[in-house]
Amino acid sequence: MASRFWGQGDSDSEEEEQEIESEAGSESEDEGGDAGGRAGHNPYLVTNASDSDESDSGQRVVRSLKDKRNEELKITVDQMRNAMKINDWVNLQESFEKLNKQLEKVVRVNESTTLPNMYIMALVLLEDFLAEALANKEAKKKMSSSKARALNAMKQKLTKNNKQYENLIQECREHPERFEDDDVEDKDVEDEDEDEDSDGDIEDPDKIAVSGSEEEGDDDEEGDQDGGAWEKKLSKKDKLMDKQFLKDPSEITWDIVDKKLKEIVASRGKKGIGRIERVEQLTFLTRVAKTPAQKLEILFHVISAQFDVNPSLLGHMPINVWKKCVNNMLLVLDILQQYPNIEVDTSVEPDEKETQKGADYDGKIHVTGDLVAFLERLDSEFFKSLQCTDPYTKDYVQRLRDEPLFLVVAQNVQEYLERAGNLKSAAKIALRRVELVYYKPQEVYYAMRKLADQAEECGEVEDAEAGEEHQVADDNRGPPPFVVIPEAVPRKPTFPESSRGLMDLLMSLIYKYGDERTKARAMLCDIYNHAISDEFSVARDLLLMSHLQDGVQLMDISSQILFNRVMAQLGLGAFRAGLIIEAHGCLSELYATGRVKELLAQGVQQSRYHEKTPEQERLERRRQMPYHMHINLELLEATHLISAMLIEVPNMAANSYDRRKSMNRTFRRLLEISERQTFVGPPENVRDHVMAATRALSKGDYEKAFDVINSLEIWKLLRNKEHVLQMLKLKIKEEALRTYLFSYSSCYESLSLGQLTTMFDLSEQQAHSIVSKMMMHDELHASWDQPTKCIIFHNVDQTRLQGLLFQMADKLSVLVESNERAYEAKTGGTLEGAPPRRRGDGQDSSNMGRWQENFVSSQGRQGGGRSGYSGRGGGSGRGGGYQRDRAGQGSRGGYGGSRFQDGRDRFQDGRSRTQSGSMTRGDGGARMVSLNRAGRG
Amino acid sequence: MAEHDLTALMARHMDCHLVFPLLEFLQEQQLHADEEILEAKIRLLGGTNMVDYAMDIHKSLHATEDVPEDMVKRRTEVVSRLRALEEAAAPIVSFLQSPQLVQELKPDKQYNIHMLQERFQIGPDQIEALYQYAKFQFDCGNYSGAADYLYQYRALCTNSEKSLSALWGKLAAEILMQNWDVALEELNRLKEIIDSKNFSSPLNQLQNRIWLMHWSLFIFFNHENGRNGIIDLFFQDRYMNAIQTNAPHLLRYLATAVVVNKRRRNMLNELIRVIQQEQHDYKDPITEFLECLYVNYDFDGAQQKLMECEQVILNDPFLGKRIVEGNFITVPLRDEFLENARLFIFETYCRIHRCIDIG
Repeated sequence: MASRFWGQGDSDSEEEEQEIESEAGSESEDEGGDAGGRAGHNPYLVTNASDSDESDSGQRVVRSLKDKRNEELKITVDQMRNAMKINDWVNLQESFEKLNKQLEKVVRVNESTTLPNMYIMALVLLEDFLAEALANKEAKKKMSSSKARALNAMKQKLTKNNKQYENLIQECREHPERFEDDDVEDKDVEDEDEDEDSDGDIEDPDKIAVSGSEEEGDDDEEGDQDGGAWEKKLSKKDKLMDKQFLKDPSEITWDIVDKKLKEIVASRGKKGIGRIERVEQLTFLTRVAKTPAQKLEILFHVISAQFDVNPSLLGHMPINVWKKCVNNMLLVLDILQQYPNIEVDTSVEPDEKETQKGADYDGKIHVTGDLVAFLERLDSEFFKSLQCTDPYTKDYVQRLRDEPLFLVVAQNVQEYLERAGNLKSAAKIALRRVELVYYKPQEVYYAMRKLADQAEECGEVEDAEAGEEHQVADDNRGPPPFVVIPEAVPRKPTFPESSRGLMDLLMSLIYKYGDERTKARAMLCDIYNHAISDEFSVARDLLLMSHLQDGVQLMDISSQILFNRVMAQLGLGAFRAGLIIEAHGCLSELYATGRVKELLAQGVQQSRYHEKTPEQERLERRRQMPYHMHINLELLEATHLISAMLIEVPNMAANSYDRRKSMNRTFRRLLEISERQTFVGPPENVRDHVMAATRALSKGDYEKAFDVINSLEIWKLLRNKEHVLQMLKLKIKEEALRTYLFSYSSCYESLSLGQLTTMFDLSEQQAHSIVSKMMMHDELHASWDQPTKCIIFHNVDQTRLQGLLFQMADKLSVLVESNERAYEAKTGGTLEGAPPRRRGDGQDSSNMGRWQENFVSSQGRQGGGRSGYSGRGGGSGRGGGYQRDRAGQGSRGGYGGSRFQDGRDRFQDGRSRTQSGSMTRGDGGARMVSLNRAGRG
Repeated sequence: MAEHDLTALMARHMDCHLVFPLLEFLQEQQLHADEEILEAKIRLLGGTNMVDYAMDIHKSLHATEDVPEDMVKRRTEVVSRLRALEEAAAPIVSFLQSPQLVQELKPDKQYNIHMLQERFQIGPDQIEALYQYAKFQFDCGNYSGAADYLYQYRALCTNSEKSLSALWGKLAAEILMQNWDVALEELNRLKEIIDSKNFSSPLNQLQNRIWLMHWSLFIFFNHENGRNGIIDLFFQDRYMNAIQTNAPHLLRYLATAVVVNKRRRNMLNELIRVIQQEQHDYKDPITEFLECLYVNYDFDGAQQKLMECEQVILNDPFLGKRIVEGNFITVPLRDEFLENARLFIFETYCRIHRCIDIG
């Protein structure tokens, strides 16, 4: 019986093809037959139909609509077959589409829900052909571009399409005769089926294996079945051995199983051994394993064989194999839980007969295996499958739902490792768990928790079904397993109340026992999580304390990407908290290169200047983040540009002479580009919006600026949108006020506080505070008049010439300093009295610098502020004196170039007089005012 | 004002014995209920060997003459343990008590150990006993004895870890005896050891720095040069990092010291930067005052905060130290602080005003 089956199984596809090719007519017959049969008709109609087919060529016959449609379908299938023969993918694709269209009609006229067998056959055929084509890499390369495109398109379409008919296709593969032989009654087939099944459990293991592997093969698009039948034939002998196993279960000994295992393991990578088949064989072995340890050992092999199923680095493991793999892992854990005397490790070389020790053996049993490696592989396969799936499809969501599955395994493995005292590995697992959780805001986390609960429920239903199936299969397939393992480990992940709780739990483990990389990554994840839960300050402190930013250049690329993601989230967090400068600091670097997408691994960016090699591109693609982990780029860009705007606009207004001092070059460049435009249209993207707001803000028009910003779509992505917008509005008002004062203060003699508050809709206190701050930092040359609450402006604006002269003086002083330093270096600088001299100089130049700053009011708050405290603290108020002086004088700026000249001459011509020289120079600094006044006028 | 009381935070980083002065102060201030403080004291004493003292407090707390069983039992335990330790340490103590013999000790540690072993049969065990004995003395409240023994122990001990804890013990003892000069020396010695590279783990080092800073408050607010000392110590990068990481409440003392110290006003910017960074973690009226004045230029706010500052200073065990002069009780730090703070306000105010209505 086995051989009979084999005979069929072998020639399956070939025969099919032949048959189909030769007797094109019969296609419609069986199609009709099937339809008829299902609908309760008898073969009579079928022959009838075939008759009409034959006679169809000549005369016109009035046929039923049904027949006509079926006929059409048949023709299309024929076309496809022809196309296949000549490898014409373009044509094939067209035919396929046509076929699908026709199918609808056929189904409609047939008035039944079953599909025409012909269609299913065609699908099977196509699939095989496609797999073959894909497997043949050489041929694929040689293909013309249009063909290759068509091939790819076909691949996608077919996969999608075949999903719907999975069951039927499977059936067709298993029992091609049912789809071909029209005279076999369905009932008979079923009976026979049952017969076979019932027989099968003892006599026909091959069949099961085959059908099983066929099952696998269906979902596996990698084309592993290119020579499926062929391989099976080869392995027939093995199979027969299996049969031997099955015939008398009591006779199976540990040795037989072990021998068989070794044989299978040794076959790895050999030509002609199907990967899936190996899995199947090994799975079978697990059932006949004699001792738990042996079962464990075999399970390990099963798992690694399952990982082997997908050979390429780019693709991912088929999803169903992945799921089976998860189940196997759980099984492994069950065994380990059940028999605590079994130890899994890689370090100890177990002796030959180690696994022979039975369940009642009470010493330690060592089994080689690495749970951590398995789990990490499992995780990366999951990650890859998400990378490869189109995020806009249902598949993606379905795949995401598998996450709890993985978390269960991870949790259990971690618990096991903790029990076993292998805390280092446990930390690694903990990191994997952290990496699945860290990017989830609380809401998403809750959703996941709920999903896990629900998954359990519907999982139970499914499980029940699957279990039953399993049970049935078990009964069918062979004797009950020798080693029965009850479900010992929980099949459901347990989640703490909040994501924070889970993170903290895992973090403390990792920090204690993890290695450097694990710790660094965990730390980054932790920071990320803090940042998205609006705890900017905690996140910032963590980052600064860990000093991760110092060493990030040396880390691996995926950690660098993680770091970039962390920085982006930190920026967003700071922005939400209203810390504009911090947000800008976090984000500006990310945008400085203009390669945000690449830095965040959220899509491949085309660069204009250098082409990437395909190799690089592939590498990059492998690093991509799955879609659900993306950070919204528009929001990020808006955040970056808005914070840049808030910083840069007042800065530009303050330094209108000196365009070099920009805080954010990216922003400046964008602004220049937008200024160059002749016509300004209404803003469309984020950048346009911010540029429009910038234009308004630089005129001090806060209302318009805010309106433009407010009209951005992306704000709805924020959790506390209202709050953020409120904050933004306030910031815009403040900066508008500052900008206004910078730009137009020269037009005013005085300005009352009341007017300012009405102009910018700020409270009196806020406005007062802002203006005071500007005065303090010498950004605004004015002072308050307390009784009238007015700002009185000191008219000290410099002309362009003066401004330039100050810059020149600045540079000259630098020159002098470096010259001096050079001189000192040359002479050794050990002359008596040099140290005090130098000190004097230091003060001197710093004073000078400060004055320049006062006037040019260059460096914003920081520098000015510092000079403010220390200078005024001394009580001399020199800056003020200078200003007064300036106010009194008409022209100035004739800053002593020659003065410096003499200064330099003086110390060049004699170091002996250094002391006195320095004194004069020191004085010179203090007297700069008067020198100026001397003014070379 | 209880919300600005830092005692609970500070006590975590201090030795049991060092907390007593703080509790004493709190008791005087009447910020918390007397019972609570006494209760706290008893619990504190549980960690020490001062059983008699605990009994006294128990009596006054519950207004009875009865003493709980376990205290009595504890007392006998303590006494017997004292005997045992005394015996164990007897040889070396007697050696150290004779001045002639002590003179034979040389700066060379190895030589000393060798000499003791050879001539007096005092081995490492006895030296170890000395340490235990000193610790016990300290626990019993005999600080001066403990300080002496620890000093001598350090001269003889070779174990660097033990030596470090001996140094901590010595520092605590000196602080409790209010020998500020000596304590300051010990503090510097300890600081050197902590800063030296070969300290075990960074975490440990951080913890030690934080302890050191907490303990140093006793010294800095009592020693005449302490106000410079605290600024020098706390503004060192490593110590500032430690403050920011684990003990931002120390900013209060630093801020006060900076405000009061006219000469060190240049540190003000640095301080304000730190205060701003830490404002989400820690704020009290003193830091808020500086923030109002130098960040927001909100003069009314600053005035208001200043009033609160006064209360905070009066209720702080370190800042609110009282000095009795004749019939007057003054709190020197408060006066200085208020004066300087007003000066700050006025200076800043004048800088940005052309015309002020003084009336």
